[in-house]
Order: sequence, then C-alpha cells, then structure tokens
Amino acid sequence: MTHLELENLTSEYLEGQLDVVRRVQVEEHLKDCGPCRELISDLQHMMELCHSAEDLEPAPWLIAKIMRSTVGERKPSFREQVAAFLRPASQPRLAYAVAMAIFSFSIIINAAGLNLRKVTLADLNPRTWVNQANRTGHLLYARAEKFYYDLRVVYEIESRFRRLRSEPGQQEQQAPKPEAPPGGSTDRAVPGPTQLASVQGLMTTAAGSVDVVSRITGKGRSPSQ
Amino acid sequence: MEHDPELVKRCLVGDNSAWEALLRDHTRKIYNLCYRFTGRPTEAEDLTQEVFIKIFQTLKTFDAAQGAFSTWLARVARNHLVDHYRRTKKDRVTSSLEDEVGGLEETPSPTVEPVAQVESRERKELLQQALDRLSPDLREAVVLRDLQDLDYDEIAQVLGVPEGTVKSRINRGRLELARVIKRMEGMRGPAKAGGRT
Repeated sequence: MTHLELENLTSEYLEGQLDVVRRVQVEEHLKDCGPCRELISDLQHMMELCHSAEDLEPAPWLIAKIMRSTVGERKPSFREQVAAFLRPASQPRLAYAVAMAIFSFSIIINAAGLNLRKVTLADLNPRTWVNQANRTGHLLYARAEKFYYDLRVVYEIESRFRRLRSEPGQQEQQAPKPEAPPGGSTDRAVPGPTQLASVQGLMTTAAGSVDVVSRITGKGRSPSQ
Repeated sequence: MEHDPELVKRCLVGDNSAWEALLRDHTRKIYNLCYRFTGRPTEAEDLTQEVFIKIFQTLKTFDAAQGAFSTWLARVARNHLVDHYRRTKKDRVTSSLEDEVGGLEETPSPTVEPVAQVESRERKELLQQALDRLSPDLREAVVLRDLQDLDYDEIAQVLGVPEGTVKSRINRGRLELARVIKRMEGMRGPAKAGGRT
C-alpha cells in the first residue's frame, strides 16, 4: 500500500468502516511507516478537537428577533393578558401599601371615636370626626399632664422626707420650706416626733395640691391656663 | 425531531406557537452551522435570522417524504451560506476587529478552573481559525460531519452531491484541517501544543 492510498482511506479507517482486508493492509503499512503513523495521530487529534468543541449558545433574544421578523409581534393570549394585569398584585410593595392603609384607617377610626358596629349617619360627617379627634387629643393631653403633676408631688414629698432624715437638728430649728431642693443622704436614721409632725404637715399640703391639680386637669386645662 | 412534520403542518395553517417550537428546536444548530462558516457571532446571528426567514417563506415546499425537516433546514442554510460566501468574498479581506476580539467570548463558568477555561478557549480559537483556512467545499463537509454529527447520506442530501463525493471531501478536509492545526500549534509553541498523547 502506498502513502497516497493510505491517505485516501484514513477517514474510513478512523471511523472503523474499512473491511477486514483493507484494515489489515493499512495496519501493516502503519507498522513500517513513521510519517503515516504521525498523519493518523494528527487526524485523531483533529477529530478529538472537533468532538470536544461544544455548541455555542446563540443570543437569548435571537428567537424573539426571528419571530418578529417572520410572524410579527405575537399577540398575547387571554391568559397572558390576565397574568400581566394581576402581576403588580403579586409584588410585596402592594401588601405593604395595603397594610399601611389599614393601619392609617384604624388610627383615624380610633381618633374619631367611631364604633364600626354601630355607625350612624352623623358619624359619617367629617365635622364630627374632627370634633371627636379634637376632644380625644385634649383628653390625652390632660391625662398626661395630671400624671406629670402627680409624679412631681410624690417626688417632692420623698425628697423632703429624705432631707428631714439627713438633717434632724436643722429641721427642728427651721420651718419646712416647700421649695426646698430635692436630694439628700440615704442613711437610715429614725426621724424624731418633731420631724414626723413636719412630714405629716407636708403630706396634708401635698394631698391638697393633688386634689387641686386633679380638679384642674379634670376640666382639661392646665393651671397656667 | 419526530414531531417536526406535525409542527410544519400547524405552521402552514397559521399556528405561531408551532413556528416558535420549531425555532426553539433548531435555532441553536443553525446558529452553530453559521458560526462555523463565518467565525463571527454577530454575522452568524444575522445569517441564522435570514435562514429562518427563508425557511418561513418556503415552508410549504417542505416534503416530509423526501427527508427529515432538519436535513431540509440544513440544506437551505448551507445554500444560503454559500450564497453569502460568494456575495461577501471581497469584503472578507478585512475582518472586524470587534468580532475577532469578542468572537469566542463566553461567560466564565464559576465551577471551571481559570486555567482550564483558558485552555478551552484556546482550543476553540485554534479550531475556528483552522476551519477558516479551509476551502468552503472542504469546510462544509468537515463541519457537517465532525461538528454537526450528520450521517454521510444526510450530508449528501444537504450538499446535493453523491455520497462518494461527500466521503472524498470529508477525507480531504480532515487531512487539510489536521495539517493546518499542526502547523498552527507549531507556531504557537510546544508548550501550548502540549496535552497531546
């Protein structure tokens, strides 16, 4: 077998399509011919390179582009139209918006003092809402103010009491001052009878002031007003 | 594809979803065929689009009795590529630098080692550059056989030549391609030509 004859049979030989006689002839030739062995090796390498070459992916928009250039813009089906209409509803921000709306509505309903189980025609008047909200606001303010004055009185009594315990000698000589600054030591000395009488006097004064404050704040007005 | 004739029938009565299904089944194959002939992705995309426009216009001439749809499609694509080759013979002297650079770019896979990615890319470049140096007759025969995995009789149908001619062209094409690859690997240096047993 000549080199040229072998060259013409290389593809069939590598694909295993040669008959037995031809294959033996080729193999006999390859045993003695270095250049032909190298040729077969090069061909095998080339075929491996081709077979290992993966298909390339076309651009993702290519099919849509071809569709447009052949059948034009595709009309969406009824189901796709419905899905497109409902798509915004599946967004989380819609849920947030609904939650915020419900929250705001409940605040307004509470502020307006509406009972949703017994809604009357007057309840639907915005003026009623405003009046009710105004009243609720003032009530809230008055309660906060009362709480503040109560705390202040209790604190004042406590600080006065501590002061008396820490300075017994002074207290016997001096009359109690309502405007005395708070604070004092925390020692546990037992107050004398004079001191106790002074504290009782203070308590009476404080109770009176609490009563006055309660009466004032009960009208929804601060003492300054 | 076994259901291709059915899809073609549905296309002919105006079923666009059937046409879309045909496109999804065959676009990748035709794109790769075009790419192996041109070596440029953008040109391959344009050619793929032109091929399918031609297919859409001549779909009624497809006869399932004469062969598979994929073979008919490959024949139309091959004829279009030959026309394109003749039409653009003069323009091919200068090639687009953009295409040369981006020709074989692909998204790096996070699971593949960078060295392996580089080697894979180099192998692809080598193969495509070697294919570009073959004559169109030999290139199409080798591409259809070794890259598109078509049988000899299918290639004969696509090329419109006898099976003996196909075998001869494939044999010559492979010999020529092997020589070109060997020469290019020799020019790149023995280190890059490594990996052969």
